[in-house]
Amino acid sequence: MSEEIREMIGEEPDVLFAEKRYAFISEILPKVLKGKRPLTRSDLLDKALLNKYLGIPVFLALWWALFRFTFDVSGTLSDLIDIGFGSLGEVVGRVIAHEQLASFVADGVIGGIGGVLVFLPPIFFLFFGLSILEDSGYLSRAAFVVDRVLHKLGLHGKSFIPMLIGFGCNIPGIMAARTIDKEEDRILTILVNPLMSCSARLPIYVLIGGAVLGGYAVTGTFSMYILGMVLAVLMALLFRGLIPYFKGKPSPFIMELPMYSTPTLRSSLTHMWERGVLFLKKAGTIILAGVLVVWFLSSYPWGAPLEETYLAMLGHAIEPVFRPLGFDWRGAVGLFFGFIAKEIVVGCFAVIFGVEAGWGAEPANVQDSIAGIFTPVTGLAFMAFSLIYIPCVACIGAIYRETNLKWTIFSVVYGLVLAYVVAFAIVGIGGLLGFA
Amino acid sequence: MTIRVAVIGNPNVGKTLIFNNLTGGRAHVGNWPGKTVEKKEGKCRHKGVEMQIIDLPGTYSLTANSIDELIARHYIVNEKPDVVIDIVDASNLERNLYLTTQIMELEANMVIALNKCDIADQLNYEIDVEGLSELLRVPVIPTVATTREGMAELKDAVLGAVKGKPTERLVKISYGKQLDGLILRIEKALQKDEEMCMKYPTRWLAIKLLEGDKEVLRMIDKSSSKDEVTDQLLETVG
Repeated sequence: MSEEIREMIGEEPDVLFAEKRYAFISEILPKVLKGKRPLTRSDLLDKALLNKYLGIPVFLALWWALFRFTFDVSGTLSDLIDIGFGSLGEVVGRVIAHEQLASFVADGVIGGIGGVLVFLPPIFFLFFGLSILEDSGYLSRAAFVVDRVLHKLGLHGKSFIPMLIGFGCNIPGIMAARTIDKEEDRILTILVNPLMSCSARLPIYVLIGGAVLGGYAVTGTFSMYILGMVLAVLMALLFRGLIPYFKGKPSPFIMELPMYSTPTLRSSLTHMWERGVLFLKKAGTIILAGVLVVWFLSSYPWGAPLEETYLAMLGHAIEPVFRPLGFDWRGAVGLFFGFIAKEIVVGCFAVIFGVEAGWGAEPANVQDSIAGIFTPVTGLAFMAFSLIYIPCVACIGAIYRETNLKWTIFSVVYGLVLAYVVAFAIVGIGGLLGFA
Repeated sequence: MTIRVAVIGNPNVGKTLIFNNLTGGRAHVGNWPGKTVEKKEGKCRHKGVEMQIIDLPGTYSLTANSIDELIARHYIVNEKPDVVIDIVDASNLERNLYLTTQIMELEANMVIALNKCDIADQLNYEIDVEGLSELLRVPVIPTVATTREGMAELKDAVLGAVKGKPTERLVKISYGKQLDGLILRIEKALQKDEEMCMKYPTRWLAIKLLEGDKEVLRMIDKSSSKDEVTDQLLETVG
């Protein structure tokens, strides 16, 4: 049937019908609409912010400012939370007479959850900042600016919107790919979405970056976000070139730019609160479960030194895989449990170092201990590895729901391989440059 | 009696905000394009009538090309809500009315919420609301979602629309003499499949068929009216 239709009304019947509908609209409009749009402040701002040459530098500068803000504002608050949980653990340890129970509560529950909750302020302020960028109307412009580059590379521009959402959490990002018309484009977008650095990775950057990168912690964190975006583009190009299923041209896309508006404090605070509460809920459930498993494995057989616990056995078993990257068994276990949720990586470090200090001893500062097992180069490699390998179990579930088993396995495998390759490259290049 | 009301509109027209205003629900207001992928429902009571309000995905049109558009059109076609509120951005009429024309073709019982009237004012636009309503033969209610202006009037219009029959006041868009004739002939051919014509607006089926809409093509391919429709097409080509 469609052939006869084409013969009758030409190659693009849908375009013809659309034109007629617009003709109907333009017939009505002059009868009901008067006035001409003046040049608004929004238009003027767009002339600067969407400028061919200025667009990308402005985007990068604002993005960097976002992380500078997140780090600077949250630092003191994080320290306060750290001190608070530290003294709480001490008090509880003194009050509970039973040794194993005391360690469970102090090192496991309080130490583990405290180790994660320290990152509540950066998460709050990241979302506060993001919300300001979003409500002001800039974030859609960022998508537009980046789209221009993507389009030149032959990628679907609409992909960047799910990717921007992925900065908050990859799961809604993956679901937002539903707005993409072509199935191949949609799956491609889903496959690269986990490379967008979600908020669960932030604690890892803050912890490791703060411990080993010194004054470059903000730059290190910023570079992880940029690395994620660059890798997403590279991978999309690679998949399009190599996998026959993805061959072909991306379909064109229209994007609407809302007018700029002044962000309201209420809206930004609400957004920040909603996301912060989600993080708190996660801390009370899956993260708590994860750190308790880590506490159990790192405390038994009871009384054994850390090096002889179940956790160390597990760590030593997987350590050889990570040795070329310069991660010791503790880093390896962190990544292992990070599969459940990325926040568990920092919780895991908190528990391990708490237990390692020995019962009753003043626990060492987690950051100092981290500085003991990572160099700036291996720390950066660890951050990159955390960024690239599959974000969490829930994300794998989302990919499975939105695609199929084949693509889910593909996504997990390529994430691990890419993470390894990039971390190895960082260590290698760092070595060549003399930062051993 | 509960009436079912679907809310539809282009992305960024303030759809989420109007949905929240109507239902009193709290939801984040933002500019993430394509934010409402999932179906959201809420309730509202107005003048003793209970309304069930469904938030449809924001779309620019109702083709079979994306999941969002399909969700929206399936809902309107299959679930047949009592009223469809089409939210139109007053500061961007031309593009927004495109979706409106598509809803008209689906023969939905429509009420237009002309939103962002404040911004249209700032831009020095003057919109003849009554004129627009007369030309489209659809109630048009000016609203400002951010200040909740026009919400009561919108609910009134929904209640009013439930009483009227939309088919009697339907505006048909002309696609030119040749196509209009062809559409009519295909409509006749489609009549053979009574069940399908009960379920879907026949004119819409004919238009979508000619547009090459994948879903409608598949449907007619399976329909008992397939031969008649093919004959009509062949005749015209010949």
